[in-house]
Amino acid sequence: MKFGRRAFLQFAAGAVGGTLLSPLPWKLVDDASIWSQNWSWRPSPERGPVTRKASVCTLCDGGCGIQVRLVNKNRAISVEGNPRHPVNEGGICPLGAAGAQFLYAPYRISQPMKQSKKRGDATGFKPISWDEAVGELQKKLSNLRKAETPHTVAAITGHAHNSMQDLWQQFFTAYGSQNLFTMPSHRDSLQGAGLLALGREAPFAFDLEHASFILSFGADLVEGWGSPGRMQTLFGKWNASEAEGAAVKLVQVASRCSMTAAKADRWIPVRPGSEAALALGMAHVMVKEKLYDASFMQDHVFGFEDWTDTRGKPRQGFKSFLMAAENSLEAASQQTGLEAPRIVDLAREFAAQNHAVAVWGGSGGNLPENTYHDLVFFALNVLKGNLKPGGMLSLAATVPLGELPQIRGDETARKGLAQKSADQIGDEKPSLTGRNLYAFLSLVAQAPPYPIEILMIHEANPAYGLAGKQTFEKAVERVGWMVSFSSYMDETALLADIILPNHAALERLDDVIGLPGSPLAYYAVAAPVLPPRLNTRHTGDVLLQLARSMGGSVGEALPWKSHEEFLQERVKGLAAAEGGAVFEESPSDWGKVKVGSTPHRNYTDGAGLWKKLSAGHCWYDAPRDPLQEIRSASGKIELAFQTLDSKGWAVEKDELYLPRFALQAPSGDPKEYPLLLLPYRMSSLSYGYHPNPPFMTKTVWDFVLKGKESFVELHPGTAQSMGLKEGDRIILKTPGGEATVRVHLFPGARPEAVYMPLGLGRKGYDAYIGGKGANVNSLLDVQGDPLSGQGIAWSARAQLKRLG
Amino acid sequence: MSEQGHKQGAVRFGMVIDLDKCTGCMACSVACQAENNISFREDESNKLRSISWMEVFYLDNDQDYANYQYTYLPRPCMHCDAPHHAPCTFVCPVNATTRDEENGIVGHIYPRCIGCRYCIVACPYHARDFNWWDPAWPEPMEAMLNPEVSPRMRGVVEKCTFCHHRLLKARAKAFLEEQDLYEVTYMPACGEACPTKAISFGNLNDAESQVAKLAKDPRAFRLLSKLNTEPKVYYLSKHEWVRKQGDKHFQNSNGNKRG
Repeated sequence: MKFGRRAFLQFAAGAVGGTLLSPLPWKLVDDASIWSQNWSWRPSPERGPVTRKASVCTLCDGGCGIQVRLVNKNRAISVEGNPRHPVNEGGICPLGAAGAQFLYAPYRISQPMKQSKKRGDATGFKPISWDEAVGELQKKLSNLRKAETPHTVAAITGHAHNSMQDLWQQFFTAYGSQNLFTMPSHRDSLQGAGLLALGREAPFAFDLEHASFILSFGADLVEGWGSPGRMQTLFGKWNASEAEGAAVKLVQVASRCSMTAAKADRWIPVRPGSEAALALGMAHVMVKEKLYDASFMQDHVFGFEDWTDTRGKPRQGFKSFLMAAENSLEAASQQTGLEAPRIVDLAREFAAQNHAVAVWGGSGGNLPENTYHDLVFFALNVLKGNLKPGGMLSLAATVPLGELPQIRGDETARKGLAQKSADQIGDEKPSLTGRNLYAFLSLVAQAPPYPIEILMIHEANPAYGLAGKQTFEKAVERVGWMVSFSSYMDETALLADIILPNHAALERLDDVIGLPGSPLAYYAVAAPVLPPRLNTRHTGDVLLQLARSMGGSVGEALPWKSHEEFLQERVKGLAAAEGGAVFEESPSDWGKVKVGSTPHRNYTDGAGLWKKLSAGHCWYDAPRDPLQEIRSASGKIELAFQTLDSKGWAVEKDELYLPRFALQAPSGDPKEYPLLLLPYRMSSLSYGYHPNPPFMTKTVWDFVLKGKESFVELHPGTAQSMGLKEGDRIILKTPGGEATVRVHLFPGARPEAVYMPLGLGRKGYDAYIGGKGANVNSLLDVQGDPLSGQGIAWSARAQLKRLG
Repeated sequence: MSEQGHKQGAVRFGMVIDLDKCTGCMACSVACQAENNISFREDESNKLRSISWMEVFYLDNDQDYANYQYTYLPRPCMHCDAPHHAPCTFVCPVNATTRDEENGIVGHIYPRCIGCRYCIVACPYHARDFNWWDPAWPEPMEAMLNPEVSPRMRGVVEKCTFCHHRLLKARAKAFLEEQDLYEVTYMPACGEACPTKAISFGNLNDAESQVAKLAKDPRAFRLLSKLNTEPKVYYLSKHEWVRKQGDKHFQNSNGNKRG
């Protein structure tokens, strides 16, 4: 048979038909798709039951309840808000939601490390064992005690709102050094203001749950002010639709159209730094038009009328000071750049509201403010009678935790404590409250009163986050030995001689004392969600181990076997104290807790309370009547700060006793540096100890960060007058430093200012974090507060030069 | 299915985003990334190449300084309800993207996708992203991957699924508890995370549901409604300039806008 063309076609058609009828092609397609879904390099998540573990977030001081989703109880896949927690009611901020990325961060330090080369050389870190690391630190600490120079040991901690701070304090006092510092925060200046006005070193708290009119002087309420979880939850409620309930009015005073300003019912643009001048102008109007709470001022306020100081000298009171020329409406108008009638209208509106409150604190309350300005905003609230029971302002309630054991203190400790702390040498005015980190660093950098032999850094990153950070780097050069307890290879850890890495936040036990800005007393325990993944150790346990091995009075002062036992003891004290309860009601009842009420106690002893707290519940107590909390010399709210006399200040001018506008112009010649550089914060950029996780970096605008370059905001008019367009590269120069950045035209920018985001320009870590943009902290100007002496870094003078 | 319209089940999932409550914190976008195993790269600033199911847009009112206002606008997939087809499902040559007529969710089946990207071109909301690279997580971040959502491979398109896997999970639970599967509601990861409760989610066909009520609010609008794509995502804003821009009624002059 001849195999012709026809037969060939018949065979081919038959073959195609036959193959299609067979399962072969379908099997092949199926295999191909299965294969294409199973490329070995495409990760396949391990399967297993998903469970949730409740805890409390410790990435900031906000005290939000979280629950972490775990697979097979050993892998954290995401962090959610705890819907039963009253602070955040199930919501969460982007940092919290990305929290597991810190747990699995490639830049975590996996075990103790010792620098074998020059300081700052990342390649010089050699792994050592925990015994060696703790042993070496302990030997050095003991030697300094033997040499009777314990005061040459210093520490900086990033925690001011948890028991670790108290543990450090206990350790330092028993050891014999006063040189324990915390990272700067608005709390520093607020405590000074509380001391002067009410005789108590406590920050103010605001009953925003019941306010109907919120006048915010530059407070970034929605970018993360106070407790971000609380503020976001409240903001949602303030903007409830008509069907859901009455709306609350928010008025934002700020130089830049921040997110809070854009979201407020009204934005009042003012000159940078002049918010306090507006508040004084409003106070002037309220007094002049008798719109203030006269009976309250009469009964509860000292220094509103003229007064006499302890030496019998008559002094001007706040009332007549407000009528002086420097506080006239015209002066306020000139300082703020607002027309006088607008100030008058705002003052009348504020005075007319039943539940109006003034809040303040730029930079999310994370930097100290000018204490005089804190007191101006406070005084505006006083004029409104806001400290009455049921008023909008009070002092943050204290949490009656168990007292730490009395420190006997041996001879060495007494000698060490007799030495002044290293921030207080020199001829500056006596400090009002607490330690002064900036004074310490600049003294150590320039003329140390005594050498700092050991500097320990705990959960803080001053090499990145401290404004004017050059001071820190210079100070470190003169420090004998630097110890870092960081979990991350950050800018500060890189400078250390030895690193004793802490567990990551989700792996360790911690607590949260107080809810920033809230009048309720608050306490929560952050239970670990997972066992430690790496060879790390809780810094609290390291401190206890050091104390134990040193023995003597140091060991006695820190008798606990573990950090967990220490916290349990504190909670036992809390359970024994009067008042308070564990919050187990519906989260929406949180706002209904009345001043002076007694919550129904729902635990019997420390163990029972501990169990509830470590399951993710929080302890709370009702706010106290602020008038009962006053401890000032006059027994009243003091608007004339006679405490200054008792603190050893020789005050000449009357006005220095009073809340006043005391803006400190940043250094530099305005001719050479015509613009004002101001930092701003975005909720999608983490600017504190924790770097921006990749999840958050993905959400950053390409007009904030593009490639490795970050942008500064300029008003389109200002840019035009300088011949700059969107995206132009410029050199931004301040007296403190310079950076190459790009221009973003932003109509919400004040024409005389240039704005730069906080949180960029980190170095090191990994390729997902390091080397992105410029760090505004290195450009800012640091000034001493006229009252507290604390470093304030609100701005810097700046000039722009086009590149190329 | 006919030319006149499509079959409609009893359930039609939709979302309402209240822009008056939204503070642009980006928690929704972060929670979405964690939930859906969205990959990230060292540099995410090229937004044309960045994968983001819950993208956030920036709108402003085009005024100067004292009158300037802006808002962020979170944009998931609109899960278009247009008769016959959503823009993306209409063009897909391999039926990789389809609308589930039982619940209105527009899904995307990755193994079917041939990466032609017609759907990306067709989508007027830029809701779809293409995997230009193999997804890779820095060691040891693979440990964070959610086993309920499969990571995608290079060469396929992906987009928001309204956290469809959460619906499956909720229905599986309802099935075991012998409850009505069509009564089941759930919350996608974005709405769960939102700290101001700006995002509501539910069955638009249920007149008693919060989303159905809010969708009738006088402040409600939908994006590019003139295209008749019938998005199932509604927005609320008290500002007329926001509502107008939702339909792109006027142009911006600043040149720095996205979206």
